[in-house]
Amino acid sequence: MIAEKLREEVHNCIKCGLCINKCPVYKQLYFEGASPRGKVQLIKKILEGKLEPSEHFQRLLSTCLLCETCTVNCPSGLNLDRLLKAMRAEITEKFGLPWQKRAMFHLLSGDRLLPFCLFWGRTVGNPLRSLLPKGKKLGTIPYDRLPLLNSKPLLSQYPEIIPGDGSQAGRVLYFVGCATNYLFENVGRSVINVLRRLGVEVIIPKDQMCCGLPIYLSGALKTALKNIRKNLEIFNPSDVDAVIVDCASCGAAIKKEYAHILEDVGENAEAARALGQKVMDISQYLSRFDLGKFLGPIQGKVTYHDPCHLVRSQGVKEDPRRLLKSIPALEFVEMEGADVCCGGGGSFQVEHPEVASGITGNKVRAVMETGANMVASGCPGCRLQIYGNLETDGIQVVHPVELVAKSMGCE
Amino acid sequence: MLKQEVLQEFMAVVGPERCKNSKEDLLTYGYDACIYEYVPDAVLFPKSAQEISDIMKVASARNVFVTPRGAGSGLGGEALAKQGGVVVCFTMMNRILEINTANRYAVLEPGVVIAEFQSAVEKLGLFYPPDPGSSGVATMGGAIAMNAGGMRGVKYGVTRDYVLGLEIVLPSGDVMMTGTVTTKDVTGYDLTRLICGSEGTLALVSKINVRLLPKPKTKRTMQAVYNSIDDAGTTVSKIIEAGIIPATLELMDKTIIKALEEFSHLGLPLDAEAVLLVDVDGDPETVERQAALVADFCRNHGAREVRLSASEKENEQLWFARRSAFGAVARLRPTCMIEDATVPVSFLTSAIKKIIEICEQNRVEVAVLAHAGDGNLHPLILCDARDKDEMERVEKAMDEIVDYALSVGGTLSGEHGIGITKSKYLPKQLSETSLRMMRAIKKTFDPLGILNPGSFLE
Repeated sequence: MIAEKLREEVHNCIKCGLCINKCPVYKQLYFEGASPRGKVQLIKKILEGKLEPSEHFQRLLSTCLLCETCTVNCPSGLNLDRLLKAMRAEITEKFGLPWQKRAMFHLLSGDRLLPFCLFWGRTVGNPLRSLLPKGKKLGTIPYDRLPLLNSKPLLSQYPEIIPGDGSQAGRVLYFVGCATNYLFENVGRSVINVLRRLGVEVIIPKDQMCCGLPIYLSGALKTALKNIRKNLEIFNPSDVDAVIVDCASCGAAIKKEYAHILEDVGENAEAARALGQKVMDISQYLSRFDLGKFLGPIQGKVTYHDPCHLVRSQGVKEDPRRLLKSIPALEFVEMEGADVCCGGGGSFQVEHPEVASGITGNKVRAVMETGANMVASGCPGCRLQIYGNLETDGIQVVHPVELVAKSMGCE
Repeated sequence: MLKQEVLQEFMAVVGPERCKNSKEDLLTYGYDACIYEYVPDAVLFPKSAQEISDIMKVASARNVFVTPRGAGSGLGGEALAKQGGVVVCFTMMNRILEINTANRYAVLEPGVVIAEFQSAVEKLGLFYPPDPGSSGVATMGGAIAMNAGGMRGVKYGVTRDYVLGLEIVLPSGDVMMTGTVTTKDVTGYDLTRLICGSEGTLALVSKINVRLLPKPKTKRTMQAVYNSIDDAGTTVSKIIEAGIIPATLELMDKTIIKALEEFSHLGLPLDAEAVLLVDVDGDPETVERQAALVADFCRNHGAREVRLSASEKENEQLWFARRSAFGAVARLRPTCMIEDATVPVSFLTSAIKKIIEICEQNRVEVAVLAHAGDGNLHPLILCDARDKDEMERVEKAMDEIVDYALSVGGTLSGEHGIGITKSKYLPKQLSETSLRMMRAIKKTFDPLGILNPGSFLE
């Protein structure tokens, strides 16, 4: 059910078209149905009862990265991404999801099945990966450029409470996203080690769930709601400085989407808003500290890619850059179009590999042109997509906090 | 409806990927930026003059109506298939073929977006001045078809002043060149400028040659803030009268300021009655001198404050906001009917007064925006297309605005075009003889009447 406010907003689209040529997907496909304006107008027809939602419409709706570029550029103030997400949810109820997605979301929302699968994934999957056929791809990413699973989920590597070194400088809850928990343990270790070094007590609530965003964005509203309610129960922000997130998407979910989603289904969003106000990306939180005396030199040249869910959803643009620039000896260079989506878009790159590879191709070119040997980005999705499409091993893709940890000598 | 066999013939030209005919796709080609909708029977995306020619041959043989379209940001229904048939959309034909720095011209395909073309030439120290508000989305082909104007008209003129030559495809499918790449060219009738502004009724443009200028060395943006819109209008007339030629001279009233501030959060003066947004450009010394002169003029004619932008970034933000004005007013009311009647610039102040008066009398809400330097008014009438009674009052107000503009020697449309929204007024400005000549020209180019039927001459 699309919320009344969003339904009314559809009439405010004056069709000026300013969203069209900013849309990375449109700029690959060049037809109106792929553009934000096209999608809004079709939704308007559906809401007016003049168009029956079809599978072709669902397909058009899926040609969207949900990068929010249209939302921030819409002079008329439409919440385009919210509208598109709500429409996806509605149409998923009608046509369902492909079985691959159903299976994946079932995993992400379950608390027993996922560890079970991952155990077998690690013991069988990681060794198996080297046997996979060379040249085959998952969407745009060659199999051999997919990350390995963590030897143990990050959540089971640490106790629930980790005291800071020396005198206490702060106290935070740490929301460990699925990517850090299962794939990029070094990001989680860096977050914990850096905070600990700064004297911050880190609390990692044990039963936390997937933030629910990837599930919701593909339109599986009911499954997503289960995760949201559970996380709201577990994360009580009242006696901490901040709720730390190292993943742009999880951050966007908890900071903004939880309240939106609950409002849209007519539930009380008070708790979600209270939690949202405390959520901080790790780069934002670290900006509170004077890191100067902790940081040692790193040789090399780094460029920064803005994740959609950080720069647009959360408005965080300068903090990660400032962190990188503060590292001695490390040269920072801005790439062309740093805030343009990388083309990953969650499952988008699997569903629309040709479109994604055009968009990611532009990103990779921009990276190469800087001559940097490192790309920093605080989003595991972007990391997968950029690393997966770099055709060189000469460029590392990292989280900014990993470089901070390295610079502090506490990797 | 298109017969299946005819559709197959079109599909054979462009291939199935570039021929769209699903219900959803057709609906998304049924609108532009005005309020009318006409759904076509198919949409074709050619990539070469040859393909366009082949499309037109099929259309001529099968008597199918063809309507050309760029990005669909037009304000008068010019690119809508008003009597059905196929839309030929140029967005996939979008390469810049040549930027010639030695002779300062460029050759490009019609689907190139204006702003992207501008930034490509600016990287080479060159400048393509015509700058419609929609330059971030509108295509060069659309700009040619509509003879687009824009913010820099006051100093640099309009699209027509930069087109050197065109490759066009006639409705029969014949391909021909008009003009050249040289600035001077008096060989034969000036068909280039006939096509430019013909609203897609005479031929389809497949290649464009435009003239470029050296990029001005510097630019300065000023905001003059007024407590009275009359004073702002008078300042504009006086600046022009004094022989000062700013690069842009834009006027916006308090309603526009409010909508733009809500969108951009730039700290625009919400308590002002009007703001003039002025750019001066050129050599550093000239800019320095002109900026001081313009600022004095504004103060002497009632500006309570003249703000200078602190940085290039702030300039960009200001102009980005200005470009968003049409969309931003949708924050206030869902529908916006945009007028663009144009008056001789000395009438600017009285025209603004008259427009406000007309709108008050007809009980419709108006926001005044103007490319003031060239007398090109853009009153935005704010309404809700779902309210029939209101829309009737809006139409009456627009009729009266047009009558007023014509009564002082102005024109129906400065830059948006006639399309379907203004065609009923055409006989008010053009004589029977003039219309007969235009119809004869149309007939010569398009004897079968298959190109963009339902347009302004009918």
